[in-house]
Order: sequence, then structure tokens, then C-alpha cells
Amino acid sequence: MNDFVSTYGFLFVSMILGAMLGLSLYLPLMAGQLSLASPGFYALGGYVAAILSTKVFQVKEPFPIALLLLEMLIAGIICGLLGVIVGVPALRLRGIYLAIATIAFVEILRVLALNLDVTGGAVGIFGIPQPFQSPIEYLWIVLPLLLISMAFVYRLEKIRVGRAFIAIREDELAADSMGINPTYYKALAFTLGAILAGVVGAISAHFLNTWNARQGTFDASIIYLTFVLIGGSRTFLGPVLGGMVFTALPEILRAIADTPGLPVWLAQFLRDGRLIIFGLLIVIGTRFFPQGLVTPQLLKRRSRSQANR
Amino acid sequence: MNLTVFLQNVLNGLSIGSIYAIFALGYTLVFSILGIINFAHGAVFTLGAYFTYMLMGNAFGFNGLLANLALPIRLPFVLALFFGSIAAGLVSVLIERLAFCPLRRKKADSLLTVVSSLGVAVVIVNLIQYLVGAEIYTFPPDTYGTLPPAINFGTEANPIPIRSVQVVIFVVSGVIVSLLTYLINATKYGKAMRAVAEDPTTASLLGIDPDRFIVLTFFVSGFLGGLAGTLVGSSVSIAGPYFGIGFGLKGLAVIVLGGLGSIPGAVVGGLTIGLVEAFVPGDYSAYKDAVAFGILFIMLLVRPQGLLGRSLVQKV
Repeated sequence: MNDFVSTYGFLFVSMILGAMLGLSLYLPLMAGQLSLASPGFYALGGYVAAILSTKVFQVKEPFPIALLLLEMLIAGIICGLLGVIVGVPALRLRGIYLAIATIAFVEILRVLALNLDVTGGAVGIFGIPQPFQSPIEYLWIVLPLLLISMAFVYRLEKIRVGRAFIAIREDELAADSMGINPTYYKALAFTLGAILAGVVGAISAHFLNTWNARQGTFDASIIYLTFVLIGGSRTFLGPVLGGMVFTALPEILRAIADTPGLPVWLAQFLRDGRLIIFGLLIVIGTRFFPQGLVTPQLLKRRSRSQANR
Repeated sequence: MNLTVFLQNVLNGLSIGSIYAIFALGYTLVFSILGIINFAHGAVFTLGAYFTYMLMGNAFGFNGLLANLALPIRLPFVLALFFGSIAAGLVSVLIERLAFCPLRRKKADSLLTVVSSLGVAVVIVNLIQYLVGAEIYTFPPDTYGTLPPAINFGTEANPIPIRSVQVVIFVVSGVIVSLLTYLINATKYGKAMRAVAEDPTTASLLGIDPDRFIVLTFFVSGFLGGLAGTLVGSSVSIAGPYFGIGFGLKGLAVIVLGGLGSIPGAVVGGLTIGLVEAFVPGDYSAYKDAVAFGILFIMLLVRPQGLLGRSLVQKV
């Protein structure tokens, strides 16, 4: 058991972080906005935590959990403010224009992180203090956070605000003429996603122990997008499951590659070609599962069949 | 800043700018006909550079499945460039058939198509890495045959040396842009292509098969992407399988600046971004990439239809 935990502890925490990053992209998508800005806010939140814990707080390890929570709060506030500043003008754009604007935003942040002194330049920030002895203990922080954000999004889907999001997603003009202010709700959805991504970044900086400009890139945008689109973009369970499964995918492929009896070339492909498989899954997924694997219909059918039993 | 340095900056800007323009033309052609951004275009750019490298008989490194492979043929640069770009165009057609066409048939949301093209980009980039490794490939110094490394356009006393590579780039891009303008404005194919871009349904009623012209557009787009890839690859180096992705994002800045779907816009946007980047002072050169994206971001907020684009009208 101990062996199992020490081997897979890191993976479990990563899976939960992946699920939350999926949710951070799902929030703007709830209001129909394809925003690829999550990695930018994730990187920013990580830098906030990394700078605060290495340069400002100056405490010995183990790093106090209260300070970690404070960093998460500050990261969330900063990302939220930036989310509003970027979101309000950018969200007048629709569809592909918004996606391009958010790509530009992420790239600008990346270039800044790569060149500023405070972010450690290309080397990044090292030796971010650890609040816990082993990676698995991060579950104390990330598991409640995931449950809270899931409960939050679940409630959000039921109340007025969430219904306004969905109305905008289905038809923005119609929603507008029904008295819903699209810019307000779109900026709200965008900012909520930014806050979540920033908070996750703050935890990840401690969890990974080092933070650099490779953390929030265009590649990361594609990967998070896969979490949501293949997982399912119509219910919050989609991105959560998608984030978990796709974060674990390299490990799963490695395990499959280790099964005896496989031809050598196939085992090698499973080990080294995981990103090829990743890309193929995106192409196949958009073609055959346009709403993702977990859809509201699927959930409804399940609950009905359970009721009949 | 003295005149020579100024002129050299202008020339540097125009030469990288004309590569941006060729590359962005590929983006914009697809956008004008389908209304989507093909994110796999950056990957096709990369492929074009590798194809030309291979066709010139250069060997690959010792990583990947195709380690140390070299083709038995050695084409001169111009022919390799031509056939490499054709191969890139064919890949682009293949992408259209496998990733775009099925979604179009299902009338899927255009954002899904964008995502699918991202998936294709991930596949191509990693397939390249899997096959030939991630190392940097440099074209051999005799790539351009007997051209000297630099040509003097000034006088003996007051030299204005220009790298021959830049001359090659000017010539190639001038030829390409004029050919493309001719193809689109003066031939029956171009007319049909514009008709499909305007309204596929009406075009098909008039006896134009939209599918044929979509395939043609993707071929031309891939050809231009591969060509731009070879020009960058041969003048600097092929900086690994990812080098098209960054360039692809820069291309977005170009087409948005010029106006999505506008052909003159892509040329104007490319040259503008190239020139602006060339005049970023040396001390701040690390921020060069941010400049293009800054322009892109501001442009989207101020004038999303771009410099030469049509204004966006939303139909209900």
C-alpha cells in the first residue's frame, strides 16, 4: 500500500489538478466562449505563489499551510482582476476572434515571464518550499478544492447566472433580446475561469517545486482544451473526468506498453508516441463525439435506468 | 541611426515580412473559403522545410525511426523547394479530407473544426519528432549553389551588403504573390474560388463543385505554407519539429492585422509586422515576439476586421 501511494501519489494529485484546469476552461465555455487563456492565468498564479514563497515570506520548511492558502487567495484575486481587465474588452469579440485574442494574451505573458528578472527569466524559480513531506499529502488541499469547485459549478448550472451563461451559449442574440446582458455574463464566466486557473497555478508551483515559462504555453492550451472537449463540454463532469483521464493517459499507455507479448514497435510507439495518440484522439473525438464522452443525455439516461430498477 | 543601418533594417524587415506574407496567405485563403482558421498550417510549414531538406539529399540525425536516412537523389535548391512545397500541399489536402471534410458534411460547429485542426497539428509535430528526432537541422552552406553569401548593392566606398538569402526570399515571394494574384483575379479557377468563398450554395447552383475548389484551396495553402517553411529553414535553420507552431501563432497576428480572409491584407500585414519587428531596438530584442502579439491584441480590440478586411456584420 505504502509502495503504491509513493509510486502513484504524484499522479493522483496531478489528475486532480488536471480536472480543475479542465473546469477553468469549461467555465467560459458554459457561456459559449472558446477561451484559451487558462494556461496564462495558471502560469501567473504559479508565479505569484513562487515569488511570494521564495522572496517575500522567507520561512523555513515545512511551509505553513496558512501561508499557502493566503497565496492561493492572492493569486486568485490577481488573476480575477486581470481577468476583468482583459475580459471586458476582449469579450466583445466572438468565436474565433476571442480564441485568437486569448492566444495572444498567453503568448505576451509567456514572453514577459521569459524576460523579466522577477520571474527568474528563462531559468525560472527554483526551490519553492514544500508544505508537505510527500506529494500524496497535497490531496489535503486539492481534493477539498476540487469538491468545492465541482459543487460551485453544479450549483451554478442550476441558478439564474448559470442559466444566463447557457442561454448565451445557445444563442447570444436571443439571450440579449431577453434582457440578459451578454458582455456582463461573458466577462463573469471568463473571470471565474481565470480565478480557478490562478488558484490551481499557486498550488502547482509548490507541488512541482519549480516554476518557469514552460508552464503556460500554447501546447498547454491544447491539452486543457482536450480535457474539456473530449471529456464533455455540456456538463461539468466532462472536464473533471477528461482532466483526470488525460493526465493519467501517459501512465496508462506506459502500463499497456509493458504488457508482455506486444510487438516491439507497438510497445515503443505507446511509450514515445503518446502525443501522437493524444492528437489523434482530438481529431477522432471532434468527429464522432462532438459533445464529448460525458453528455447530459448520458447522465439522464443513467439516472432514469437506475430509477426504474 | 545611420542610413546603412536603417536600410539594412528595412531590408531585414521586408524579407522576414514577405515570408510572413506568403505563410499568412495560406491561412487567409482557407479562412476566406471556409471561415475557419486552420491551426495545422504551422505544422505544414514545418513539414515543407523537412521535405525540401530531404529532397536535397541531406541526411537526418541519429534520433527517431528514420535515423541517418538520406534519399538517394540530390535535387538543386529550386527544384527541391518546388517539390517540397508540392508535397506540403498534398499533406494539406490530406488534412482537409480527413479532418475538415467530415465535420463540414455534418455541419458541425466551426469551433469544433478549429479544435480538430489543433489535433492535426499535435499529430504532425509529434510524428516528425518520432520519425527524425527533435534536433536542429541546418541546410548545408552550398544550398543556394554558387551565390556568394552577400551581394553589395552600394558602392565600394559605401557598401550596402545584402545577404543573398534575402535576395532569394525577395525573388521567390515576388513571383509567388504575383502568380497568386493572377490566379485569383484573372483565371476561371480564381473566379470560381471567389464564388465559393462568397456563397457555396449559390456557387453550386451555378455549376461549381465547392468541394473541388476547397481541395484546390487547401493545396495552394499548403504549398504556400511549405514554401515559407523552406525559406525560413534554409535561411536560418530548421529548429526542431515545433518551429512551425510559434511561426503559426505569429501568422495569426499577420492575418488579423491585415484582415481575416483578405488577400492584400495578408501581404500588408506580413510586411508591417516584419518591419515593426526589425525596428525593435537590440536591447529589447527578447520582447520581439510580444510586439507582434501586442499589435494583434490591440488590433482585435480596436478594429477586429483588420486593416483591409470587410466590417463584421452579424446575420440573424
